Amino acid sequence: MANVLIDGLKERISNAIKMNQSIGILLPINNYSELIQALFERIHSDSEDAWVYVTVTKPYENLVRQFPYIATDKNIKIIDCISRAAGISKPATNCVFIESPSMLEKLGLEIINLFKEVDPEVNKYLIMDSLSNLIIYNDPDLVTEFFYQMINKTRAKDIHIISLALEEEGMDRHINRLVYLNDKILKVRDSFI
Amino acid sequence: MYMDLIKMLEEERVMVEEGGLCKTGIEELDIQLGGGIPTGNTVLTVGSSGSGKTTLCMQFLVNGAKMGERGVFFTITEPLFKLTKNMEGFDFYDKKLIESGMVNLIDLRIISERLGLDTEKYTVEDASALLDILRDIADELNVKRLVIDSITALCYRLQTPEMIRDFIFKLGSSLAAMKCTTLLTSEVPPRVFQYSQYGIEEFISDGIMFLSDVERKGDLIRTFQLVKMRGANHSRIKSAMSISSKNGVELAPLLKSSE
Repeated sequence: MANVLIDGLKERISNAIKMNQSIGILLPINNYSELIQALFERIHSDSEDAWVYVTVTKPYENLVRQFPYIATDKNIKIIDCISRAAGISKPATNCVFIESPSMLEKLGLEIINLFKEVDPEVNKYLIMDSLSNLIIYNDPDLVTEFFYQMINKTRAKDIHIISLALEEEGMDRHINRLVYLNDKILKVRDSFI
Repeated sequence: MYMDLIKMLEEERVMVEEGGLCKTGIEELDIQLGGGIPTGNTVLTVGSSGSGKTTLCMQFLVNGAKMGERGVFFTITEPLFKLTKNMEGFDFYDKKLIESGMVNLIDLRIISERLGLDTEKYTVEDASALLDILRDIADELNVKRLVIDSITALCYRLQTPEMIRDFIFKLGSSLAAMKCTTLLTSEVPPRVFQYSQYGIEEFISDGIMFLSDVERKGDLIRTFQLVKMRGANHSRIKSAMSISSKNGVELAPLLKSSE
């Protein structure tokens, strides 16, 4: 059953990102693991494209434990916004650590710097995991402004964005405002993928 | 005489061809400056401790040296071994530029000692002698970029407000006579919107770069603002400033909702 869900997600994401510059994925919290697995499998299977994965949800070490190829795959770079703030300070070659998830301008700079190192001919993708977690650490208006800037910057540099937002009680208003900045929204439901 | 004239014309040609701008080599800053600092300008780089003044100035010198412009860094705040040790952590820093003389690091306290001056207190004559030496070094090395870190520490050694005022105006005239682009660092208390300790430094400056910070959820975000730059159609937006070992100083638009 899990494989069916993951395959379904992979296909939906692949199709949507081909046709749109930015897609927002709105999902219930209990589908998060499947979605992450689908995304990393998609990245791993496609070594031609360049991916930058911003994590505000799980520390880099945790992600590597779950998906070991992240540490060695050349086509993916991770930006970890939470390890340093949590006091985890192990260095990693495939990962850029941001001191705090509140340093949004620094995050924006690092995203652009990583894509500067990529061949201009290569397809470029940015994954934001997740907008809802950025709101935990920042004022929602600030995150909206940041995300709006990111969408414009990446659009100018032909970078596709996939942004995740977890549906959480009490945060619907902020999440909706953010997610609707994307060109296309995918809603993941428990009962229907 | 004839050779001097040719040299002068050549310099003028280069200035005109390049728009008379001294590129800092920091991409976003040059964009904000409209290409670079107008050549020959004296720019006050203001900030509290840890705001990134020294790093910014050193990056300006090193980037200039990489573009073929010789520079000199006069320090009076920290010993050279400490300065170089701190800079070695940055990818932009290249020891070879120091060894080749493209970037010259000079401790003004050592110069003072060699001149037989009291390194802690300057008289009018001492300050004047120091200014002459400073000018002679810049001339002899034929530098295009000059940094004094910091003007505050230099003035601190003068006894009275009158002496400070007199020294700053003399420094201004000396710098204006030199053909190099100068950054003077100015130390101010944190989170205070003032450009200098003595209230005069800004008047001899053609430009002011203001380094500060904003607090966000308890974290300090470094900020940068170009307050003034004579001869340049410059931006006045407040930027977030990042300092990293890989890229040195970088600027990004500051998110407005944070203010």
